[in-house]
Amino acid sequence: MKIVIIGGGWSGCAASLSAVKAGAEVHLYERTDMLLGLGNVGGIMRNNGRYTASEELIAMGGGELIQLCDENSVHRGIEFPGHKHANLYDVNNIEAVVKRYLIDKGVHLHMQSRICDVELDKKRIIGVYLSTGEFVQGDVFIETTGTSGPMGNCLRYGNGCSMCVLRCPSFGPRVSITKCAGLEDMMGERSPEVYGAFSGSCKLVKESLSNEIREKLEKEGVVVLKVPKEDVNLDKLKMKVCQQYALKEFAENVILLDTGHAKLMTSYYPLDKLRKIKGLENAKYVDPYSGGKGNSIRYLSVAKRKNDLKAIGLDNLFVAGEKAGLFVGHTDARTTKVRTFATLW
Amino acid sequence: MAFEPYECIDAGTEYCPCHLAETGDCILCSQLQKCDCCQCEHWKGVCIYQEFVWNNCKAKKTREYHKCKIIEKKIYSDSIVIFTIKAQESLLRDLTPPGSFVFLRKPKDVSLFDFPISLMDVNLKEHTMKVAIQLVGVKTNRIDELKENDDILVKGPYWNGILGLNHIKECPENSTCVLIGRGIGQAPMIPVLKALNEKKCRIITIIDKGKYPNVFVDDYIDMYNPQVILCNTLKKGELTLEFKEILLDTLINEKPYLVHCDGADILNYNVMKGIDAVNESEALSHEILYSCCNNAKMCCGEGVCGCCTRKNNDRVLRRMCKMQTDPKYVLEGRRKY
Repeated sequence: MKIVIIGGGWSGCAASLSAVKAGAEVHLYERTDMLLGLGNVGGIMRNNGRYTASEELIAMGGGELIQLCDENSVHRGIEFPGHKHANLYDVNNIEAVVKRYLIDKGVHLHMQSRICDVELDKKRIIGVYLSTGEFVQGDVFIETTGTSGPMGNCLRYGNGCSMCVLRCPSFGPRVSITKCAGLEDMMGERSPEVYGAFSGSCKLVKESLSNEIREKLEKEGVVVLKVPKEDVNLDKLKMKVCQQYALKEFAENVILLDTGHAKLMTSYYPLDKLRKIKGLENAKYVDPYSGGKGNSIRYLSVAKRKNDLKAIGLDNLFVAGEKAGLFVGHTDARTTKVRTFATLW
Repeated sequence: MAFEPYECIDAGTEYCPCHLAETGDCILCSQLQKCDCCQCEHWKGVCIYQEFVWNNCKAKKTREYHKCKIIEKKIYSDSIVIFTIKAQESLLRDLTPPGSFVFLRKPKDVSLFDFPISLMDVNLKEHTMKVAIQLVGVKTNRIDELKENDDILVKGPYWNGILGLNHIKECPENSTCVLIGRGIGQAPMIPVLKALNEKKCRIITIIDKGKYPNVFVDDYIDMYNPQVILCNTLKKGELTLEFKEILLDTLINEKPYLVHCDGADILNYNVMKGIDAVNESEALSHEILYSCCNNAKMCCGEGVCGCCTRKNNDRVLRRMCKMQTDPKYVLEGRRKY
């Protein structure tokens, strides 16, 4: 059986591994030159209930990526407001590690290959088209294209393109495969009739922080700094994807986590205000580059699907990761994949 | 129906977004097609919606008229005139790529008299452009009234004069290429010849004088020195046996990277079918690529007036002023009513 996976984020990677283990010929198509998508700027694992989820994934035989993250963690078992026993993987090295692992396991990777359309035979997808017009046939298709961006959505539903790691202009934006197949996607609302939600964190260049903060961050994994009273904005918490981080503490403090970058746990923060905080006088964003202005917008194309993650209306299209629902973390994305394969085999 | 990878020729240029964005008819952007979400199946590297919003939700200004001077007028046979026109360097620079064209008219005429014409040559040193005009109707006969040293209005630049432009742009150096030009089609063939010559390609030209007594691009043939085969390509709407044999022999023996044809659609179509047959026969190790001139009628040049729209059997509306696509999607499945 030939399985075509569209989208090489954490969820697509997890799908590939599960499918290979099940004996399928697996082809993973990713539009950029890197796997993991937003996982390249993520990092937080095993926090709170995800610890259990991670152990369950491992126990169910779908834990390779959890273990790779564990092995490549720069901090283990740290605590920050509202969160316990988190691991932080090294965002600067994890992608290459995962890529090698997938190749080693026999996944056929097709990088810089953007899928733009589908060919249907009634309710079955018989193949997908690359942006070049090349046709790729398959038996089963799994869409893991996510719900973030592209630029037009980030503008219409957010503050405009903030130049994030998704790099839509360079490699071409994601295309909703369900929509290509004539299905209607759902859009999440961050408040009534306000669609989409901001990605929840930015990354600062560690070298731009004061020595004191950098040393503390690298030693302990977390630094909490007080936001000046006049700059506390509780409303901003409503905008973000990751509502588990939408706590008062995250508005009253600047919370930095060491993931290789200094992960700033807020959707965006004006640079001039950020630089008012002691130790951040030289702070500089590395993702999104315009983190002082905005962040990528998510939840704009969630597929309607059954509990077995099959897209409603098609016989051989499965969806996973954020495409399959309003999930908010790498662990959740991978879990959806294991669920898919429990159904398929 | 197979996915058609196409671009908008103007996307990413100073003329994008155009009026089609304002009316919800952008040919690339789903947000500018009255849809509330991005679905960028055709992407050219820029977010047109973003450009539109940043431009206060208005179209960028369209091409301007440039008042230029005719410095030479040559008449070939009774019905071809070649104008050499002095123009600003900024305009000329934009007209150097193959497929470039402009709209012309007499300064005292109203814009109804605008007609599109492909560039035959641009000379950046002398700040001149050359156009060859076949005198066929109301507008072209009107422009023939102009003499040397008269002013002429030039609107441009426009670029969608060739379908399959990427094949020419991406042609590797030192490739073998075949150029076919019939009648007035010899003129738009010259920028292609020039571009491929720059890439040090080995070029074989098959030239059909059409209804004219002589080849009128001799100067360029002398300058770029391609191999030249003179032959009659069409008779009563069918390819001649002579041309079929020449084409087939050239395709099989020379294994060209690219064939480019500048003729009427009937010629463009039949050459394409010939290449398809050779490609399908797998006689070659690679697929021969194909480009041809875009013969769509154009009036406003911006996809607004509807003159350039084409609907084939696939019922897809194509605005040929803007849509840069492979010839097969335009020439195949033509509706016969």
